[in-house]
Amino acid sequence: MDIGVLRRDGRTDPFFDGTAAGRLVVRRCEACDRWFAPDETGCPGCGADDLAWAEASGEATLVTWTVTRPRDSDQPPAYLALVELAEGPWLHTRLDGVDPVSLREGLPLRAAFVHPDEGESYVLFRH
Amino acid sequence: MGASIVGLGMTELGRVYGRSPRRLAADAVRLAVADAGLALGDLDGLLVSHGMGGSPGIELAGALGLRDLRLLSQVNAFGATAGAMLSYAATAVLSGTATTVACVFADAPLKPKKSAGSAYNRDAREWYGFGGMTAALGLRSVNSFYALAAQRHMTRYGTTSEQLGAIAVSTRAWASRNPLAQMRDPITLEDHQASRWVSEPLHLLDCCLVSNGAIAVVVTGADRARDLARPPVHLWGWGQGHPGHRKERGSEYGLTTGAASSGATAMKMAGITTDDVTACELYDCYTYTVLVSLEDYGFCAKGEGGAFAASGALGPGGSLPTNTGGGQLSAYYMWGMTPVSEAVIQARGDGGERQVPANDVILVSGNGGILDHHSTLIVSPHEKGA
Repeated sequence: MDIGVLRRDGRTDPFFDGTAAGRLVVRRCEACDRWFAPDETGCPGCGADDLAWAEASGEATLVTWTVTRPRDSDQPPAYLALVELAEGPWLHTRLDGVDPVSLREGLPLRAAFVHPDEGESYVLFRH
Repeated sequence: MGASIVGLGMTELGRVYGRSPRRLAADAVRLAVADAGLALGDLDGLLVSHGMGGSPGIELAGALGLRDLRLLSQVNAFGATAGAMLSYAATAVLSGTATTVACVFADAPLKPKKSAGSAYNRDAREWYGFGGMTAALGLRSVNSFYALAAQRHMTRYGTTSEQLGAIAVSTRAWASRNPLAQMRDPITLEDHQASRWVSEPLHLLDCCLVSNGAIAVVVTGADRARDLARPPVHLWGWGQGHPGHRKERGSEYGLTTGAASSGATAMKMAGITTDDVTACELYDCYTYTVLVSLEDYGFCAKGEGGAFAASGALGPGGSLPTNTGGGQLSAYYMWGMTPVSEAVIQARGDGGERQVPANDVILVSGNGGILDHHSTLIVSPHEKGA
């Protein structure tokens, strides 16, 4: 499945500045010492709606996955997943270069950054 | 005093073109009112379900020429909306807010000469922001999000594709007895296994249909219901469950759903337990949602939904007839109105070839979002406590 071209939308600058530099930047509530996915808009703990951006380690584990195979196409299957960052939040993402028979809950993963010719850099996860 | 469903209106369902969702909704309300032996002017309440394909809002009242309504609202709990609407209608009737309330769902996502799959899929060359990034990476359809949930259940509990397939097969067996069902040819487990992957672990035959059309019901007080045209279907209990599973460490996403709390609330109100339920009409956007709902309602233990489904309990002749009209998997995808309408048909004894042997207590579910929202109704041909 072609990934296509990713564009910023005004809410994503720190995230895509991070991916361009090979860093996974997510959201964090300093007051509650809690980490969130990059698309989180507020802290449900304290109600703060001005979450900070903070660099995550890039370490993660596999929660669950699905395999999509493009119809009428010889493209390889895409391994899509929910992964749990070491800091706690889950991300919807795509796995890269994984062995299908190795997939299991808890499989250790690490963020990997892709820098396409056109559009923003993005993050995948590899074993 | 209780509240009862007294009218059911169903337009043509499936590849029905040339009528807007608003027109379909208006037609269904007219059919439901006529079915009850009432006139449109008898309605003093109207609840309109949110939908995806340009569904109507509260302007539907004007399109129907309804005047002096005492209750009018659009309701949105995604796939849990139908059960929620009926509970609000019942509550309105019991409180005296209104006497006679129509609840309607209409949608028309199918377009002529377009595949059913294209109705909800996203595709683009450029993607914007975080939502765009998730779609760009490949999560472009609700199917993939449910596949993630189903895979988690399989990984944790050993649930198999064949067990999900048992639900597809039993549901189709029921559909083959329903003249209104879109898919009536019987299928085997081999057919299920051979159907293409939509998003692994979900095969095509694990996924619901896409349908155009509308379904409406009319709710009024049980005392008034006795004098109307059709046998009343009494609302014994209702509940909702919105678990708020966050996507973070410790989440029960894919493992448990709002059916647990929603079912407990509804069954307590109805004064019943799962042992009293004689048939289920469950929200089956996927075979997996049937399986996980059965577990969360307590028809079997957590993790044993697969074995329960594979036992044959859900099909014709089984101990817990489930989705007896063919559900959303094989009959028609009218969101929560699919299970509601089949419960009304069964409670009235109108099931024909598919009439269940015992219709005394029917459990109806709704499921919305990605397992984010759940509603439950308990209905019966008998007055509560009678």
